[in-house]
Amino acid sequence: MRTRGEQDPGAGLGREALAYVDTLHNLARYLTGNETDAEDLVQETYARALKAADQFTPGTNLKAWLFRILRNTFLSSYRRQRASPLVGGLDTVDPAHQGVADEAWLRDDVELDRLRKLVAEEIEAALLTLSEEGRTVILLDLEGLTETEAAQVLGCAVGTVKSRLARARSALRQRLKDYAR
Amino acid sequence: MDCEDVRLHLHDDQRGHLGPELHRELRTHLEGCPACAHEEAAEHMLTEVLERRLPQHPASLALKRRLLAQWPAAPVESRPWWKGWRRALVPALASALVLAVGLPLYHELWSGARGDATAMVAEAVNDHVRVLQRDRPLDVESGGIHEVKPWFAGRLDFAPVVSFEGDAEFPLQGGAVGYFVDRKAAVFVYKRRLHPVSLFVFRAEGLPWPARGLTPIGGGAGYTSVSRGFNVILWRAGDLGYALVSDVDARELGRLAAKLARG
Repeated sequence: MRTRGEQDPGAGLGREALAYVDTLHNLARYLTGNETDAEDLVQETYARALKAADQFTPGTNLKAWLFRILRNTFLSSYRRQRASPLVGGLDTVDPAHQGVADEAWLRDDVELDRLRKLVAEEIEAALLTLSEEGRTVILLDLEGLTETEAAQVLGCAVGTVKSRLARARSALRQRLKDYAR
Repeated sequence: MDCEDVRLHLHDDQRGHLGPELHRELRTHLEGCPACAHEEAAEHMLTEVLERRLPQHPASLALKRRLLAQWPAAPVESRPWWKGWRRALVPALASALVLAVGLPLYHELWSGARGDATAMVAEAVNDHVRVLQRDRPLDVESGGIHEVKPWFAGRLDFAPVVSFEGDAEFPLQGGAVGYFVDRKAAVFVYKRRLHPVSLFVFRAEGLPWPARGLTPIGGGAGYTSVSRGFNVILWRAGDLGYALVSDVDARELGRLAAKLARG
């Protein structure tokens, strides 16, 4: 335990870490489905990051490290508490329902055109129907994390990220079909 | 490569992460397989829809102020502090403290009034290293600046302003789409001898740009720093920000910055 007079390693982590608050909040918002819980989650994430600052390896991806803390915090703190009907469940991506989406409609140019006309709210609503795992892997990909970095966040193998991402995107396309009418 | 393999790799190909051999195999398959070609079109469209229209939810200013006010210059409490900070239970006294202490600090960090660009320099180095570590650092190989710049059209929500075409000293290698902090960036990769040099161009607003310690660069002013062995130069031009990163000598990097900043 540090005493009041000692240099706090979290202070050095801080300025860099706080630069990611917007991206962390965005993921938190899509995980929790509401603003209040998202803010709580981000606060808790930074608290945990401070406590674990000495475990961060300089030169590695700080954003991925923070994402991992945020997701683990979400899973541990919110899994028990939240069962919001606004967001998809916390279950892992179920291939039976999400991975084997009927994509025939997407092979039709008319449907492709309809998809192109989706509005932001519809895309957000469709994303929120995916499982936590599906939402997370899609958002990490959009954030530009490599599969290796995403694997670190999700705590799984790189190959698993690839297959989860493929299944999640396929499921999202299927869900978007419902809005593209 | 069968259809299943192709579909597993479509997204990697779209991101420019496939090696040349796999990329060729995939392209060959797509030319002869209408179903997979449709699948590729759908994947492209999904990415476009997500990147352009998925709502983003940045943190509120209030949250940023709270985090900044709570961030230790002081030591970390062993007690889980957030339990006392949740939702409406935030005491009025803390709010007053946030306004009195956090707001000035907020301005220091987020508007760069104090000129501390530590976070931006670290981000630039991280992003440079990430570009180099990619299987294919370049999404588009250079056939000149007029081939690289148009490639970004439709991939970014701004037009990167870079007119330096490269020369014998700093040949342009190509470009890629990357990220800088929380936003997309156009990445131009130049070379000095065997040393890659990354230029990140991104929207400048909302970042803690240094206001002090600037030195002349081209016709303007920039901030020069060293982090983890990499030289970094940051500058702004209008709405756009620029970060130049490399392990080349600082004077050489300064010469390239001057050529770039002259427009």
